[in-house]
Amino acid sequence: MTALWKNNRGLLIITAIVVVLMAGLLQSLEPKVWMSIMLSGATLAALYFLVASGLSLIFGLMDVLNFAHGVLFVLGAYVGLSTFMNPRLLFNTLPFFFVLVAAITVAQHFGRIFWRRIGTERGRRVATAALLLLAAAVLFLALRGFPIRALNAFNITAVGGAVTTAEAQEPMATMLRRVTMVLLAGLPIGLLLAPKQTKDELPLRPVWQTLLIAGVAVVIGYALLLVRDPGETFMLAMSTDVRFVLAIILGTVAGALAGVGIETALIRPFYGNPVTQLVLTLGLSIAGIDLIEAIWGEEGNPPMSPPSLFAANCRSDSLLGWFSEHCQSIDVLGRAFPTYRLFIIVVGILVFIAVGVLLRRTRIGMIIRAGVQDSEMVQALGINVRRVFTFVFALGSALAAMGGVIAAPYLGVFPAMGGIFQLQAFIAVVIGGMGSYVGAAVGTIILGLARAFGDHFVAAGINVPFLDTVIKGSPAIARASTVLIMAIVLLVKPAGIFGKKE
Amino acid sequence: MAASPSPTPTPANVLEVRDIHTDIGQFHILDGVSVDVPEGSITVLLGRNGAGKTTTLKSIIGLTPPRSGAVALRGREIQGEPAYRIAARGIGYVPEHRAIFRALSVEENLRIAERKPGDLSRRGDFIFGIFPDLKRLIKLPGGNLSGGQQQMLAVARALVPENGLLLIDEPSEGLAPVIIEQMMEAIRQLSAHTTVLLVEQNFIMASQLADRYTIIETGRSVKSGRMADLVKDEETITRYLGAA
Ligand SMILES: Nc1ncnc2c1ncn2[C@@H]1O[C@H](COP(=O)(O)OP(=O)(O)O)[C@@H](O)[C@H]1O
Ligand SMILES: [Mg+2]
Repeated sequence: MTALWKNNRGLLIITAIVVVLMAGLLQSLEPKVWMSIMLSGATLAALYFLVASGLSLIFGLMDVLNFAHGVLFVLGAYVGLSTFMNPRLLFNTLPFFFVLVAAITVAQHFGRIFWRRIGTERGRRVATAALLLLAAAVLFLALRGFPIRALNAFNITAVGGAVTTAEAQEPMATMLRRVTMVLLAGLPIGLLLAPKQTKDELPLRPVWQTLLIAGVAVVIGYALLLVRDPGETFMLAMSTDVRFVLAIILGTVAGALAGVGIETALIRPFYGNPVTQLVLTLGLSIAGIDLIEAIWGEEGNPPMSPPSLFAANCRSDSLLGWFSEHCQSIDVLGRAFPTYRLFIIVVGILVFIAVGVLLRRTRIGMIIRAGVQDSEMVQALGINVRRVFTFVFALGSALAAMGGVIAAPYLGVFPAMGGIFQLQAFIAVVIGGMGSYVGAAVGTIILGLARAFGDHFVAAGINVPFLDTVIKGSPAIARASTVLIMAIVLLVKPAGIFGKKE
Repeated sequence: MAASPSPTPTPANVLEVRDIHTDIGQFHILDGVSVDVPEGSITVLLGRNGAGKTTTLKSIIGLTPPRSGAVALRGREIQGEPAYRIAARGIGYVPEHRAIFRALSVEENLRIAERKPGDLSRRGDFIFGIFPDLKRLIKLPGGNLSGGQQQMLAVARALVPENGLLLIDEPSEGLAPVIIEQMMEAIRQLSAHTTVLLVEQNFIMASQLADRYTIIETGRSVKSGRMADLVKDEETITRYLGAA
């Protein structure tokens, strides 16, 4: 009996929660109301999961609590939003990032020669300070007066938009000058990121690879700028479905790249120094939001219109009906439910399966699962576990960013959403068990459902059985319910439902 | 050290640890450890608990890189390289406390050690010849195995790629006598194919298996030689190893 309890505590807790939910249904809810609350909860759970899964994997494998995860969610949301509604902004800003990556890649590769020339520790310190100043000065000159706000006039659905494209954009010559200066600013940054000690025996990329990466990045950077006008017209002429897919792809890729950047610059130099890592990601969570506000503004945007697959003004009777009609809502037990939210649920499930297959069926997944337990031993088998760390960080970041994109048509996009989702994801991960993938999924489902039922009962009140009263709660109670659940789970099982004790 | 002319040429050393000093955090753990591991031998590190035997193995594989001194694998200095690169040079590491991956199946525990695809199928007969039990358990999660089985798995894992040198840390720790017998037999079998540097507190086991020994005391190697000589040397045994 105790053995049964010990081995299946996780499942038993979940079962208990489900039973309570069922009791709630029998007691006071009509089936159709219950169903639509369940679906709302599942929608939230799917979004929480996209943030929580990465958090959990990153913590499990690298013992890093990434407080910047919410920033990645917002970043994905904004990149997606811009791709979908304002390609002009992308064409005028993406070139900067591409040329910056190119310059950094090259300078980092050859930087070792530079640092070897400077023999003394003092000389290196002086050079570091000088390079920092130089990079900052060139970046400042490159971007001074860049008309980000004009570019950012949103809600354009046709060429021109709120501020006509011609007025919002700077002339090509100015932009070419800016992009080229950013390219130059990348060189000192790359030197700063290069290994400074000759002893550092980082595996060096072959020269041709470095040049290829940099070359491709430079070409893409300038090409995007040169085709900005036809490019914008072309993108806005696409069907909204294609553009939405593109938004998901670009948002996700942006998240992955940002993740690689964060891991390389802020995490990797400080393994074995968890407090530094924590403080750095915490700092980035604030600075990152500031940066996002500087580019996209502080106001936030209302939910963007869903792509046309989920936009027709009608209600489908069934999924089959939706396939042909593309209605915005679907009939569930006699109640309308937005089809776009079903899409979010489906994405959540697909990601859960895909990452699960990656973890279970591939070599890198096997390495990740082993590394969660003992990454030193993985190294001692001859596996470069740091490369796997970078991969997992990029994967987790990409998933969070994807969550941001698909949340945009449902919740809108605003800078504070990152903090909200990060907090919920943390709670979900703690409930499920730090480092457990299935735990992250279960934790997010519990949270999503708790939130949805909480919101419902706050709005509708609770019929107390045997008494003829209705207790109404305040929204604060619905919000607090998630923390309450966390407290209860931790009391029963301190490591979380699927957590293993240290 | 004056080289004394020896009548027979000594076999080449697979591994030479020369006067390594290793810090963990701000603690000086190793303070001058030298070990020679001749080709084809079983060399054992002896010494009391906390003497620095485990740290010596970790310094060799690169998990706690030495601050000074040299580690030479077939004459090539490897100290300071990242652990994964040192391991890939052909060193198998079996850590203490049977650090198998509990969440991975037995098969995955073996497969993860492959350095080339197909290592496991190529070497499977050899491995399961030494550890026949593992074949039966192949689908079980590593965490479900008994202590002895886990230790067998940890050693088997180090045999998956063709390693020229095995570092094995206290394979008998916490095992029942019958299992210790099996483990000794297994190490004897695999030592026909590869050189072994062993840490073993169980002196009876160590003396039956090893050709050579090095004694470590509070972070220093204090005595090395042939095992056959040590078993007769009561004084050394009581002085460094306690009543054995
Ligand atoms: N991570 C660590 N931090 C501080 N001290 C350590 C650490 N690991 C080992 N030590 C110390 O180093 C000494 C040698 O340890 P170890 O190599 O494990 O000894 P042995 O394997 O011979 O029992 C011990 O005194 C131990 O307390
Ligand atoms: Mg030890």
